[in-house]
Amino acid sequence: MTTPDTKAGTTKVDPKLLEILVCPVTKGPLDYDAAAQELISKQAGLAYPIRNGIPIMLADEARALDADGK
Amino acid sequence: MTGPVDIFDRNLLRQRRSRVAPDFAAHDFLFREIAERLAERTADVRRDFDTALDWGGRTGLYADAAQRLAPGKIGRLVHSEISFDLARDGRQAHGNPTIVADEEALPFAEHSFDLVVSAGTLHAVNDVPGALAQIQRALKPNGLFLGALLGGETLHELRTAWLAAEAEIEGGASPRVAPFAELADAAALLQRAGFALPVADLDPICVTYEHPLKLMHDLRGMGETNIRRDRRRTPTRRDTLFRTAEIYTERFAGPDNRIPATFEIFFLTGWAPDASQPKPLRPGSADSRLADALETFEQATGDAANPHPSKDQG
Repeated sequence: MTTPDTKAGTTKVDPKLLEILVCPVTKGPLDYDAAAQELISKQAGLAYPIRNGIPIMLADEARALDADGK
Repeated sequence: MTGPVDIFDRNLLRQRRSRVAPDFAAHDFLFREIAERLAERTADVRRDFDTALDWGGRTGLYADAAQRLAPGKIGRLVHSEISFDLARDGRQAHGNPTIVADEEALPFAEHSFDLVVSAGTLHAVNDVPGALAQIQRALKPNGLFLGALLGGETLHELRTAWLAAEAEIEGGASPRVAPFAELADAAALLQRAGFALPVADLDPICVTYEHPLKLMHDLRGMGETNIRRDRRRTPTRRDTLFRTAEIYTERFAGPDNRIPATFEIFFLTGWAPDASQPKPLRPGSADSRLADALETFEQATGDAANPHPSKDQG
């Protein structure tokens, strides 16, 4: 409650949030792709989208990674 | 509460919550009340919480309640909700870090939080023991879980009226109201999930309505209509609906003609284990005799109790 986002920052994901997020399927680490606004779980082969600065940590909504892990 | 269950359709829950998002504030009284009671309980705890999670918190009503009723207790509050629409509306209101996640698959590293709050959402989770175990692991040692769960006799009036109306008009009943946990189950579940010092207590909320259809309208508006997988898939017949309302009024209306709706809220409290917490000693580890403390005679196990002890035994 002490760190409300500024109006301009409402579409950015909170960096401290990224430190504690893990993949909901494997509980493994996530890589943040800032350009694509995705959180990548290599172990699960899934990319979780970030919309309006809100990570969507649902396997149903995630993009399946291709063979190259992209 | 034994074995794996899959009675609730979580995707349907997500759809329901997103659908009600635009008008949710008009129907959020029950969850606002639950959030306030949880915030009062937070204020009663004699410690502060640097990091906290509102787990499954709809529009994040707990953030608002905690700011008013437990000011300064929480440093950083993360809001999680299964519906993007409710999560987004919450973030706009409170500005806290927000994610979309399912209470059945927690996406936080171990030991991330000092406090996890669950305000009226675990009643729609299939695997409650699993969900609680995940919360326990996300807590730091000596971290606190504060939960509120709809249970017991919640909506018993509506359940009774539906059963009677369906039996009368359609000659059979379909599952309408979710099965709820009992209070003893709730405490046992906390213990099973590895929480120390588990406590479960009951705090009912009784609401009255002018008419049963207004109650049903509110339940729809809060996104709490039937998500059972075994629910009937055909639309409810109008005559059954109106007969339900009639029976509800006949059986339950008070002298002022208003109808009551019972919500039984189980409040759950548990701590992530920590060496600093009080623990029972190992059996047989006592270094003084209970009999001495009580100034009485100790009877060996297996001996028949002597109903007439002589004076010299004292």
